[in-house]
Amino acid sequence: MAINVLERRALLGAIVFVALSLALISYATWGLGINVPTCIPLGTKPFEEASVTKHDGKNYEVHFVTRMWAFEPNVLRVPTGSTLDIYAVTKDVTHGLEIAGTNVNLMVVPGAVANGRVHFSKPGIYTIVCHEYCGKGHQTMSARIEVSDLINDYSVEGLPSSEGMKILDAKGCLACHTVNGNAGVGPTFKGAWGSTVHLTDGSTRTLDSAFFVEKVHNPTALSVNGYPPVMPPIPLTDDEIKQIEAYLEGLQN
Amino acid sequence: MELQKNLQRIILIELLVPLTLFIFGAYHGVMQVMYQSGVIRATSFAGIDYYEGLTAHGIINAIVLTTFFAVAFGTMVVSQELKSPVSIAGATLSLVLMLLGTVMTAAMIFLGKASVLYTFYPPLMAHPLFYLGLVLFIVGSWVPLFTWIPVYMRWRKENPGRKTPLGVVGIFATFIVWQLATLPVAFEVLVQLLPWSLGWTSGVNVMLSRTLFWFFGHPLVYFWLLPTYVLYYTMLPKLAGGKLFSDFAGRFTFMALILLSCPLGLHHQFADPGISTTSKGIQGVLTLMVAIPSMLTAFTLAASLELAARQRGGKGLFGWWKQLPYFDPEVWLFPYLFCGLVIFLFGGITGIINASYSMNNVVHNTAWVPAHFHLTVGGPVFLGILGGSLLIITGLLKKPVVSGTLAMIVPYVWMVGTFVFSTGFFMGGLRGEPRRTNLGLTYMNPASPSYRPDWWLATHMGMVGGCIMGLAVLLYFIVLVRSLAAAPDAALSQVPYLLPISEPYHDEDVSAVRNFTPWVIAAVLLCVASYYAPVRDIVKNGIRTAPGFRPNSPVAVDTTRSKS
Repeated sequence: MAINVLERRALLGAIVFVALSLALISYATWGLGINVPTCIPLGTKPFEEASVTKHDGKNYEVHFVTRMWAFEPNVLRVPTGSTLDIYAVTKDVTHGLEIAGTNVNLMVVPGAVANGRVHFSKPGIYTIVCHEYCGKGHQTMSARIEVSDLINDYSVEGLPSSEGMKILDAKGCLACHTVNGNAGVGPTFKGAWGSTVHLTDGSTRTLDSAFFVEKVHNPTALSVNGYPPVMPPIPLTDDEIKQIEAYLEGLQN
Repeated sequence: MELQKNLQRIILIELLVPLTLFIFGAYHGVMQVMYQSGVIRATSFAGIDYYEGLTAHGIINAIVLTTFFAVAFGTMVVSQELKSPVSIAGATLSLVLMLLGTVMTAAMIFLGKASVLYTFYPPLMAHPLFYLGLVLFIVGSWVPLFTWIPVYMRWRKENPGRKTPLGVVGIFATFIVWQLATLPVAFEVLVQLLPWSLGWTSGVNVMLSRTLFWFFGHPLVYFWLLPTYVLYYTMLPKLAGGKLFSDFAGRFTFMALILLSCPLGLHHQFADPGISTTSKGIQGVLTLMVAIPSMLTAFTLAASLELAARQRGGKGLFGWWKQLPYFDPEVWLFPYLFCGLVIFLFGGITGIINASYSMNNVVHNTAWVPAHFHLTVGGPVFLGILGGSLLIITGLLKKPVVSGTLAMIVPYVWMVGTFVFSTGFFMGGLRGEPRRTNLGLTYMNPASPSYRPDWWLATHMGMVGGCIMGLAVLLYFIVLVRSLAAAPDAALSQVPYLLPISEPYHDEDVSAVRNFTPWVIAAVLLCVASYYAPVRDIVKNGIRTAPGFRPNSPVAVDTTRSKS
């Protein structure tokens, strides 16, 4: 028995619809040049350090390092009209790198380099969101790109340029204490140096060198209000403490 | 023919156990929109961590509830339509394995040892029992198909030349897709993740693992959908008071889904590195092909409803719409299927958007994605499971549904809830709001430097919608508990319980859709053809393997220590 004529028309309609959709997608891909990420540097060893390089004019190459739970760099300021070639790697689990409001939407998978390109024709503050679950601190993992008419050159924050930040990273401190101002499991480091700290025993202290040393050696005795008393003692040499202090001092709001 | 009493008991357990667990699953659904909108600003509430609850929500609702229903409903359809009992031993084995797996997995989740979400992407590492539980559950769900095949072969021998009942075609399609899809994920869990979590291997090729997961992860959605398609094709026309417009459409759809379910998982990995744009493009095209059986289904079901409405006296080009039993407590099941279809219209359209290759750049992993799948698995599939479970449970226990009116209201409340929820999440997703993130702590917290006030409306619509969905679930459980508590109906107990199955209106005989074998062979070949290149790229490039990380620590798991 033949297929009903209405049924045949419905089938034909569906096929035409799919063909039309494919034509539009092809136009977007090749006509407008909007593609999905491909597999770049095949077998290439992923880079280790975050960096920003200025090429000619307003073209920049940004190497992001992602880790639990931060982006390096975490603030990037570029002039309006800049084009950014973005590369990203991860030091631990899979992370996401989405620049909200743009077509950059990348998965940063261990062992591979993710790649995207973005052109900023309008000034504004663009949030970089980690949009792949990466553990307990996932929601704190964000960064931003500030695009402005008022600047001629780029500037950057949150590169592990200082020894102090590298030590904090190596000791695992950055898992709970962010450097971008977000509260994590513990308070943020950003703007913390010299600030007043309220302890659970009701006393207040100023975050200075003396308090810092006491805190890393005997953390639970000096628990900060509003945060769980879960910090372990951190073995640090005097030299390491000095490096960290220098870094924290420079990390102002 | 009445089902054997033992088989009835197994089916009741298969329906009631996941529904009980679903109370937790639904609770965590409501809690999530609370966290995400910033109503709750904490890492945990009432002793349960946000990501722990999120893992439970995904595993219970999307894996446990759906798979148990498919097995229970499949057993009903096969034994009723082939008029032959299926193996009790097989059904018992399947039930025991699936229950054991569920208990192990759920225990690990609620002990906080497996907050890795339902995608369990490495290198996030869960407790070995979480993975072992998943394996037992999946293996348990493989058993039924192999006990049904001999029953079906015998039926074919005894009924030469007769068409296989459409419901049976649909159920076999469901489990053939499941069999194809679960082999790679079983490989991922058994060969990659389980030994790694036990400390026997030091690392995992993460890209391979993600690719194997999505080989499973997308056909999984058709596995969810297919039992609901069986409800639509076999029951909806009858509930509306008519016949199925075309028998061919049903058979074609089921066969097309066998062919197309698997070779398109890469569309979940458009944003992944390490896979060429050619491989992604090919599977992108194959994904869109699924629109063909879906649109044919939409047409056939609408035509069946029109046919029924005109038989009931419906007139005019649009006037017939008024003649359907939207608010008839006697046919309370009708709105479960009808509302599901209405929701699915939007689920299907947004699915085409997700799958449209470069368009994925805008929405990948944003709130758009859960907005979409709460209109598919959370719409037609979920309503099909709720309605189907209530039908079968009360049917087998010969109890009345108390009350039909309340049961009838549930899908409407749910539909309103999903539309409000999804509209919010769609809006948020287009503005970059990430999915499955505890937004209340940062992005929805005015005290945080990451605060995004422009996501306020989106997350709060999600919150309101989620609460309405929670209300619908509450109403459903009132009906279920009251029905279970009711005394058996003496009138019902005289007759064996049967599912309401429709007759076809156009009973076309197209030989191309009457034999599974060529479709299964074509499906396997298409999988090999479309996955060969990406898997070769991933394996050959020797992407270094990654050590494991617990979700609460950025220090890699020391595998040498975990051995002791």
